[in-house]
Amino acid sequence: MIGFAAFAQKEILEIARTWRIWVLPGILLFFALTGPIMARFTPEIIHALASEQLGNFTFPDPSYVDAYTGWIKNLSQTALFALIIVYGSIVSSERRSGTAVLVLTKPVSRGSFILAKATVHSAFLAVLVVIGTAVTWGLTAVVFGEAPGQALWSAALAWLVFGILFIALMTFLSVLIAPAAGAAGAGLGVYALISIASLWTPLSRWSPAGLTAIPTTLALGKPVDAFWPVCTALLLAAGLIALAAAAFQRKEL
Amino acid sequence: MSAAIRITGLTKTYAQHHALDNVDLVVDEGSIFGFLGPNGAGKTTLLRVLTGLARPTSGVVQILGHNVTAVDDSIRARIGFLPDVPGFYDWMTAEEFLRFVGRLFAIDRRTLDERVHMLLDLAGLTDVKTTIGGFSRGMKQRLGVAQALINAPQLLLLDEPTSALDPMGRRDVLDMLTSLRGRTTVFFSTHILADVERVCDTVAILDHGRVVAQGPIDELTSRYAERKVILEVTDAAGQLGQDIAREPWAASVAVGPTGVIEITVSDMDAARRTIPVLVADRHTGLCRMEAGEMGLEDVFVSLVGGGTK
Repeated sequence: MIGFAAFAQKEILEIARTWRIWVLPGILLFFALTGPIMARFTPEIIHALASEQLGNFTFPDPSYVDAYTGWIKNLSQTALFALIIVYGSIVSSERRSGTAVLVLTKPVSRGSFILAKATVHSAFLAVLVVIGTAVTWGLTAVVFGEAPGQALWSAALAWLVFGILFIALMTFLSVLIAPAAGAAGAGLGVYALISIASLWTPLSRWSPAGLTAIPTTLALGKPVDAFWPVCTALLLAAGLIALAAAAFQRKEL
Repeated sequence: MSAAIRITGLTKTYAQHHALDNVDLVVDEGSIFGFLGPNGAGKTTLLRVLTGLARPTSGVVQILGHNVTAVDDSIRARIGFLPDVPGFYDWMTAEEFLRFVGRLFAIDRRTLDERVHMLLDLAGLTDVKTTIGGFSRGMKQRLGVAQALINAPQLLLLDEPTSALDPMGRRDVLDMLTSLRGRTTVFFSTHILADVERVCDTVAILDHGRVVAQGPIDELTSRYAERKVILEVTDAAGQLGQDIAREPWAASVAVGPTGVIEITVSDMDAARRTIPVLVADRHTGLCRMEAGEMGLEDVFVSLVGGGTK
């Protein structure tokens, strides 16, 4: 594992010095800052824009739950799609630019190369989710006057596991598929399949497919058993990293 | 003397194409070895196999005494490599890149400080503070050479190290390679013959994936000089050149403007017997007939094609 720490340090510096510091953080911070405010004022905004069409229909009073579910839905859709697109080139960009050749002819194994990338970017996502959730939590408390922590944090952490699974998946796909758009397309396809699979209760209960709905359920403050979906998602993520390393080992550069 | 690189029967095939075809090669430790060949001959493919970036289809490749398919981090730590088009992280400065590469080798901080300053100086990049994204191709090439030396390698593999350099940069890199003689084995591929003649002890010439000649430069040029005849006649040099070109032993014939004819021959004995007869048949005067001197360029051209018959 010589070179793992140095290469991981490079990945961290690359996040800080390139477009990576703007895209995912920008998206998550935007949703964290606007989510609670939008949740609070959405009924007024809709009434102001379409009061004639709504007639006597009245919206229930907004609460912190709306801010929480809004944050989780934004994570589960826009943020996840952005993650899939951003990480479609996590490995292939280094092959294309020739940097992989320069690094992998040094004492850095291909397994270390893959593991460093997956580890650093999973940690990066974790930091972003924690910061975004903290901002959502604080703003919700300001806007609604109450913000119980457990529902929001358990939902966000359950989604984080799903996000890490997709970083592992995109690492694997980026090894197999050189064009970034191809890998991203395959990643979106896998997401669609998981969403469909989650409709079948046994899969939803015992596999990572359950993580498509569990974060929203947790954000609503409802009890749900997330143990097996979380465990299987983490195991699958580890398996995908191992597969990515094995596939990369066989690639000629 | 032991071998830094020993290749036996190496073949590398892509689909139906033999990029390398039964290559045998021995590079002695401490030598500066020039690996010559026209574009597409297979030079880069061989370096990719040597560095483990590509796998041999068949054959045995040993590097520093280890089979290349089993080369681990401890062996890679003793090798320096510059690819033909080095890829850098454009957002780093030259110093940051050298420090990053040094850390990949787990070089201690003090040694790394010394080497980084020395190599930045060698590459002429000491005062350059812009990121690599703003570098010219020559600056990148010099940085590429510098990073290949950061670990003070026992074996230095360079793919076309001078191709993007201006004359001053080329001279600096060649001087640096010369200074490594005896301490580091240098194996570099190029198609710039003047570079090879200037610094190399030994060369191999690759053509269409096959090694067509290998040996010390002096030995190679003297071996092939035996195949060259210089002929000077009083008149009718053009017609005589055409007569000679029809002979089966004449590999190439070049007639100069002053009536000097340069002939590359495949059978010197037959040439010695036949040329005077052809001169007599043309009723022209024979001024000079002697064995020619061959440079590396002549050897290269005669082996990989390009002669005029």
